[in-house]
Amino acid sequence: MIKHLSKLGAIPFALACAAGALHAATEADVEKSLYPYKGGVPSAPGVTPGTVINKGNVSSFEAVLDPSLLRHLQEGAVEITVGPTTSFDLHKSYVDATKENVANVKLGAKPGELVGYVSGRPFVEEPDAADPRAGEKLAWNYRYGMNWGDGLAISPFYWQYRNMDSGKVERNILFNFYFLKYSHRVNQAPTPEITPNPSKIFRATYVKVQEPQDVKNTQLLLQRYEDDLKQDDAYLYLGFQRRVRRLSTGQTTDAFLGSDIMIEDFEGYNGRISDMNWKYKGTANMLMPFYNHNDMKLSDEYKEADGYKYVSFGGQGGCFPNITWQLRKVYILESSPLDPNHPVSRRVHYMDAQTSAMSRTIVYDRKGDLWKIFMVGVSHPDFHLAKNKDSGVVLFDNFSMIDLQAKHCTTGQFKGQADPQMVPVNLFNVQNMRGGN
Amino acid sequence: MHTAGEFSRPKIRILVAALSLTVGGPLLAADENLPDLAGGASPWAADVYYENHTARRRHAGLAKFRNTLQVEADKQIGDGWAVRGILRGSWDGVYRMNKDEYGRRAGGPILLENTAAPLLPPVPTTAGTPLNLPQVPHGGGINNPIGTAIGLPPTNAFGFDLAANPNDAMRVLGDRWHRTEGGIAFGVPVRPCDSDSRGCRNFGGYGDLDVHELETPEFNDRLDFLRELYAKKTIPLADGTELFVKLGRQQVVWGRTDLFRVLDVVNPVDYSRNNIYDELQDIRIPMWIAQAEYRMGASEAMQDRNVQVVWNFDKFRPSNLGQCGSPNVMLDASCYFRGMANLWDNGGTVANFASVPPGTAGAWAATDFGPHQIGIRKVHLPEWSLANTQLGVKYEGVTKDGLAFSINALTYRSQLPSLHAFGTGTVNPFTGASGNTTPPAAGVPVSHLIAFDVHYPRVNLIGGSLDFQIPDADVAVRMETALTRGEEFANTARPRLYSKNKVLRTVIGVDRPTFIPFISKTRATLVSAQLFWQHIFDHEQHDGPLGKTGMVDWKDNLTGTLLIKGFLANDRVSPQVIMAREFRAKAYTVAPQIEWSVTDDFKLTFGANFKYGSGNDHFKFDDCRSCNPYPPFTTYTASGQPFVPGSAGLSGFEPLGRFRAGPIGAAVAEDDIYLMVRYRF
Repeated sequence: MIKHLSKLGAIPFALACAAGALHAATEADVEKSLYPYKGGVPSAPGVTPGTVINKGNVSSFEAVLDPSLLRHLQEGAVEITVGPTTSFDLHKSYVDATKENVANVKLGAKPGELVGYVSGRPFVEEPDAADPRAGEKLAWNYRYGMNWGDGLAISPFYWQYRNMDSGKVERNILFNFYFLKYSHRVNQAPTPEITPNPSKIFRATYVKVQEPQDVKNTQLLLQRYEDDLKQDDAYLYLGFQRRVRRLSTGQTTDAFLGSDIMIEDFEGYNGRISDMNWKYKGTANMLMPFYNHNDMKLSDEYKEADGYKYVSFGGQGGCFPNITWQLRKVYILESSPLDPNHPVSRRVHYMDAQTSAMSRTIVYDRKGDLWKIFMVGVSHPDFHLAKNKDSGVVLFDNFSMIDLQAKHCTTGQFKGQADPQMVPVNLFNVQNMRGGN
Repeated sequence: MHTAGEFSRPKIRILVAALSLTVGGPLLAADENLPDLAGGASPWAADVYYENHTARRRHAGLAKFRNTLQVEADKQIGDGWAVRGILRGSWDGVYRMNKDEYGRRAGGPILLENTAAPLLPPVPTTAGTPLNLPQVPHGGGINNPIGTAIGLPPTNAFGFDLAANPNDAMRVLGDRWHRTEGGIAFGVPVRPCDSDSRGCRNFGGYGDLDVHELETPEFNDRLDFLRELYAKKTIPLADGTELFVKLGRQQVVWGRTDLFRVLDVVNPVDYSRNNIYDELQDIRIPMWIAQAEYRMGASEAMQDRNVQVVWNFDKFRPSNLGQCGSPNVMLDASCYFRGMANLWDNGGTVANFASVPPGTAGAWAATDFGPHQIGIRKVHLPEWSLANTQLGVKYEGVTKDGLAFSINALTYRSQLPSLHAFGTGTVNPFTGASGNTTPPAAGVPVSHLIAFDVHYPRVNLIGGSLDFQIPDADVAVRMETALTRGEEFANTARPRLYSKNKVLRTVIGVDRPTFIPFISKTRATLVSAQLFWQHIFDHEQHDGPLGKTGMVDWKDNLTGTLLIKGFLANDRVSPQVIMAREFRAKAYTVAPQIEWSVTDDFKLTFGANFKYGSGNDHFKFDDCRSCNPYPPFTTYTASGQPFVPGSAGLSGFEPLGRFRAGPIGAAVAEDDIYLMVRYRF
């Protein structure tokens, strides 16, 4: 429970309107949305920094655990340590943009349509369970969040495929990931958009495989458009073919390079809003994988010239990051695909209220059975690489996707770098993929 | 502890040292993860691979025992330049381990069909056997004394020196894929050229190789062990555009098609490595090329725009069709070439050639031609000159609606040989003189004679490609087309037995990831289908008194491919099957394969390719026995053929049926199973 809610007066930015019309956000709403801990941090019985939750005492903490984490704790697959809840302030430009524009934003007539959006967080009011489109609004907040900021590189990015029973690492893949927003940019030049951009790309993701040899130089380019109703475009360069292949959209729901994660799973959800039915399921204070990277017990497995160290993994099969967990305000959001042939029947996302990061996601298969659990750890950027300090971005720092049915997991260790020099726009052109080797 | 570059660190230092010596500088592990923005120098990063590829072929036994060592290395050399080198050396033990089939003991004495045997007298031949055998040995056909006895001038030049061209170390032309069945055939020397030099010609990297060159194909005077060695740099321009340059030995890949080469023709291809079954990356023959790419990026109308200029300034090289006698001989073509070259040099016996009785179709006698009468005389390989270099331009872009496309133009030399018949400088076997001297054709220029020089004509290509997705069908569509001008095709209706024709080639491909539950419930199986269409403009065919004449290639030809590739065990196990069907040839292949990545560095691949055909009579075409270069001796008078050169259309499998059979139909008896082991050090 939030101890102290903001007492700022309600200053209307717009007239109250019906659902789907302009919303009556106030500055207090903005403050509450972006600085939820200004008045105090959540608390729960026994959940104090340093508390270790494990199989022996998990029953005392059920209220602050999502079902999948609860299950793993009950099984003894992992034990977690509580860290102090801290505010992950987003970049001031994002906050200012939110204040400036939030009054003009409204949902369009159908899912996937947003009217009047410029930049910042589109919807700052507390979600209302009575609002049938509350979930959709949260999805927009996620889409236009500060995940990775305007541009960021994960370089290097180590993935490991692990047998959860034996702990054996079956495959290592070394990636570089690059992200670039073309529009709604707030803190990296140029703002607010990169021009020319005739296709109206919103965001592009470029991936390059460095190792191992059989997939080396495989490259992936994903382009998501401003128009959410427009299909994403995806291109794949296969090193052994030396040719760029257009991917059909179906391949975004396929296991990415044989891992336990599909492209659509990236960051919690990496697809179009209009592809899903979104339902707001409630608000809760829960333990979430938010921490200060530099304060964690880090791994010596990989050595970087600048001394950077990665989050280590442990627990059953080495599928769980060795981090601390914060008690944070969370929106519970359910997405279910409109496509009846989609391999997933629904996902339950645990979205951090302050950052809109979907740090925990539970995935159910087509039959409705629990299938996979996705977790992406978020580090405060001020306690990471020096270049990330004051970036005000949501800095993902590790991930784990556990396939409960296959007893298998894929883990990822990031070196996220909020460095615009590493993400020039030319990197995100199809031709860049061809121009290598 | 690992480093970011440790995955790339080789452990075979001797190869590392070799690479270092080749391109200079120390070789160390490196972090190549950052984009090349700063332009600083870095140590070498290298991978070293070993691969063994062992194949067993039905009827032939061991068909490959190839051991390959490959080094791939990269280095930033400063000022934004980067260097990449790929060194490859391989040794194929098949020539020593199966020398009876492919090595120094390959081939042997042969017998050739002689359908006129019942009509022929038992006169002795050069081989010492009587002429009236249904199967005669090489040297057992009509020779000078027999020719004289049947009324030819005593100066006739039939017959050849059996000592210079003995009946040994040979196979019958086409015996791997068809019987003679009344058509022509002749002996083909099949041993490496250091064991048997008969018929050896350099077709531009093959055709005259000795056993060492065959078993170590990269170590030659073109330095093929340097698979690739180039420098590249991206130069930012003031307006935000970029100029990308890449200089050196390299592959330039155009187009969007798998397996077929419609636009992907900048580099020739080495089919001798594994016919059509290796990845093109491994069989493109790298050339010394300079390419520049002006990357304009987005505009108000286009999301991406690029112009590429490719100048292939290397000395010409054709595609390697595989030397006769080696395991992979595309279309069995080089066996025809070698046999024909041997006929030109030494003469030889041709099965079922001379009509019996003369001028009448129905039975044919094996005939011993002398040197310089028929065959392949010379291969004209283009020398290096500025005019012989090859130039290409490509515009590639993505529209604002997401349509990716390219427009391509290339002027290049044909990578396949073209046989030009000639009529001067040849010996008329009926008279022993040159040209036509016998009434009523005295003075008629000799044409339609199966005596050839080999040329590689210039070809001009324009084409384009595009791809897009159809979301509702969950498919990605690829299309590619090219129109060429200058390609040459066998054409028995033309005096020089070839014609230049414009050709349109088009491929449409569809890729669809599909969940096939019995393969995997969580990982989509890739289903990829392609349809290739080739249309020859101004296609020429005529009805002759004995059959069709003109162009053997189909006017319209269709080939379909289907790839089904599954992914299991987190992609560490991948079963796949490739099927291809040549519709007009009525031939198809099925190639199942399973890959198993045992570790990140160790992979096993087990597979096979099986070929099937449905009859082969449709391969038969005008074989030019009735081309009538020397009237009246060669005239089928009973069929009303006039005393002027030109074909009456008598047909058989050889020599042109291979163009109808295609690479699958001509290899229909070559079913392989194989195991590949690949390890990265």
